[in-house]
Amino acid sequence: MRLVEAIRRSEATGPTAMFLVLLAVVIALKGGRYSLFDAQNLAANVLPLALVGLGQYFVILVRGIDLSLGPVMSVSSCLAAVLFPYGAVPAIAAAIAGGVAAGIGNGLLVAWLDLSPVIVTLATMSVWQGVSLVVLATPGGTIPAGLQMALTAATVVVPVPILLLIATALFGAWVMSTRLGLHLRAIGGDAGAAEASGVRVRRQRFAAYALAGTLAALGGLYSAIATSAGSPIIGDSYILPSIAAVVLGGVPLIGGRGSPVGVVMGALTLNIIGSLLYFANLSDFYQSLINGVILIAVVAAAALRSWVWRAVPA
Amino acid sequence: MSDVPAETRPGRSGVLGLGAGLVAPATSLVVIALMFLGCDLLIPGFVSLGNVMRIAELAGFLGIVAIGETLVILTGGIDLSIAWVVTGAGCVFTAVSGGATSMLVPALAAALAVGFVAGLANGLGIARLGISPIVMTLGMNNIMQGLTLLYTNGTPTGGTPPVIKTLATGYAGPVPVLVLAWAALAAVVIVALRLGRGGRKLLGVGENPLVSRLSGIRNERVITAAYLCSGLAAALTGVLYAGFSGASFLGMGDQFVLPAIAAVVLGGTSIFGGSGGYGGTIVGAFFLTVLTTILAVVNLSAGVRDIVYGLVIVAALLLNRLSMRAAQ
Repeated sequence: MRLVEAIRRSEATGPTAMFLVLLAVVIALKGGRYSLFDAQNLAANVLPLALVGLGQYFVILVRGIDLSLGPVMSVSSCLAAVLFPYGAVPAIAAAIAGGVAAGIGNGLLVAWLDLSPVIVTLATMSVWQGVSLVVLATPGGTIPAGLQMALTAATVVVPVPILLLIATALFGAWVMSTRLGLHLRAIGGDAGAAEASGVRVRRQRFAAYALAGTLAALGGLYSAIATSAGSPIIGDSYILPSIAAVVLGGVPLIGGRGSPVGVVMGALTLNIIGSLLYFANLSDFYQSLINGVILIAVVAAAALRSWVWRAVPA
Repeated sequence: MSDVPAETRPGRSGVLGLGAGLVAPATSLVVIALMFLGCDLLIPGFVSLGNVMRIAELAGFLGIVAIGETLVILTGGIDLSIAWVVTGAGCVFTAVSGGATSMLVPALAAALAVGFVAGLANGLGIARLGISPIVMTLGMNNIMQGLTLLYTNGTPTGGTPPVIKTLATGYAGPVPVLVLAWAALAAVVIVALRLGRGGRKLLGVGENPLVSRLSGIRNERVITAAYLCSGLAAALTGVLYAGFSGASFLGMGDQFVLPAIAAVVLGGTSIFGGSGGYGGTIVGAFFLTVLTTILAVVNLSAGVRDIVYGLVIVAALLLNRLSMRAAQ
C-alpha cells in the first residue's frame, strides 16, 4: 500500500504512464515484437535529449529558460570530433569543459548581472553557434569506432545506452535530493521567500545554468559518439525539444515543481512519438510540426485544467 | 521569467535609446549619425551616401519585422515565431504570385493571412489561455516550419512580381524605396504609440496588467492585437525580403530573430514591458545593421562573425543594464 501511495504521489507517475502507453502502441504496431535491441536503440536515440532536457529542467525549475543549450551541444559535439585523434581524454575533457564554460557564462549573465534569460541565451546561442562553426565547419571529424561500439552496443546483460539513460535519471533524482535541489525548488516556488529563509538565490540560480550547460555538453558528446561524427548544427534540432521534454515531464514553466525522472520520461515520450510518425508513414516534415503542437497542447491543457479548478470551488 | 524585484526593473533609459520612452525621433537620428561618424573614424570612407543608404535599406527589413517585436515586448511578451512566419509568408507569396503582377493582390493577401493566423493564434494562446509567450511562440515557430516544409515540399517555388521587387530594391533618387516605406510605417507606429489610445493601452498592459484591467482595459484584446501585429509585420518582411532576394528560400527568416529582439531591447524598451518605444528600436536596428556590415567588411569567417555578433549584443545588454542602474 505504501508503494501504491508513493506512486500516486510521485510527480513522475503521469509522464511515466504516458510513455508506457505510447510504448505499448509502438509494440502493438510492431506486431508484439519488441526486443532488447529495440529498447537499446530507443535509449541510444533518446539519451542526448534526456541529458539536455534534464539541463533545461534545472533552469526552468528556477523560472529561467536556456535557448542556447542546443548550440552548446553542437560545440561539444564538434570539439569531441576534432580532438578524438589526439586521444579520448582531451576530447572528452574539452567537450565537457565547453559546456561548463557556456553554462558559467549564462549563469553569470542571468544570475549575477540580472539580465533576462531569454535575451541572454538568444545572444549566447549566436556565440556558441559561431564557436561550433569555427571548431568544425561541416559535419565530420573522427570518433573511434571502438568507443562508439562500447557506448551504443549491448553488454552481457543490459545494453549500455539503457544503463546510461537510467544513470541520467538517477543523477537528476540525486541532485534533487541534495540541498541544491531543495534550494532550486524553493527559488522556483518563491525566490523572495527563499532568499529570506537563507537560500543564496544568485549562487544557486547560477549553479542551475552551469549544470544545464554541462548536461547539454554531455548530450552533444554522446550524440557525436553515437553517430560517430561531430556536427555544428546538431544542437539546433534540440532547442524546442529540450523544453518540450520538460513540459511533457509534468514540469510547470513557472518552476518550483516537477521531477527529473518525469523529464526523462518526457524525452522518451517525444522520441516515441517520432517513431509513431514513422509507422504512420508520414514525412519527416511532420516532426517539427508535431513537436510544436505537442508543446503548445500540453501547456494549454495545463492552463485549461487550472481554469477548471479555479471555476469549481473546492 | 525571472524574479527581478520591481525596484531593479529597468526604467526609461538605455545606452542606445538614451531614454527611449521619451526619445524624440530627432534624437534617434542624432544617435544614428554619431554611430556612422564613429564608424567613419574606424573605417575611413565608411560614410558615403551610397553606403549609408544601403545600410538603411538593410536596416529597413529588420526595422519592419521589429515593429511587431516592439509591440509584443511592450506588453511584456516576446515573439520567437518570427523566423518561420517570415519564411512561411515569403514562400506562400512567391508560390501564389509566381512572379506575375496579375497575382500580386491574391499573393499579398495569402502571405499576410499566414502572418495574421500565426499572430492571432499566438495572441489567443498567450492572452486567453495564459500560455507562456516563450513556449507559445517557440511552438508556433515549429508549427510554421512544419507547415512551410509541407507546403513547399522542401523546395520553395515561384517568384516576386516587379512591383515588390521595386519596393524592396528600387531607388527614388538617392533613397531606397524600402527606406521610404519603412519611414512611413515608422511614423505611423511612433504616432500611434505616443498619441493613440491603443498605444497607451499597450504601455499600460505592459506596465501593470492589474491596474490596466482595473481601469477597464481588456488586456486580452490588447495583447492579442500586439501578437497579431507582430505576425503581420513578419509576413510583410517575408514578402519584401523575397522581393529583395528575388526568391523565397527555406530559413530566410532565421537571420531576423535575434536581431529583431536585440534591436528592441538595445533600443531601451524594457523586456518586462511597459516602457520604451519604436524610436529606440530604429536606433537598435541601425546599430545591428552597421555591426553586420562591419563584420562583413573585415572579412571574418561565418563562425567568428556569429561569435562577435553575440558578444557585442551581450556587451550592449550589459551597458544598457549599467546605464539604467546609474540612472536610478
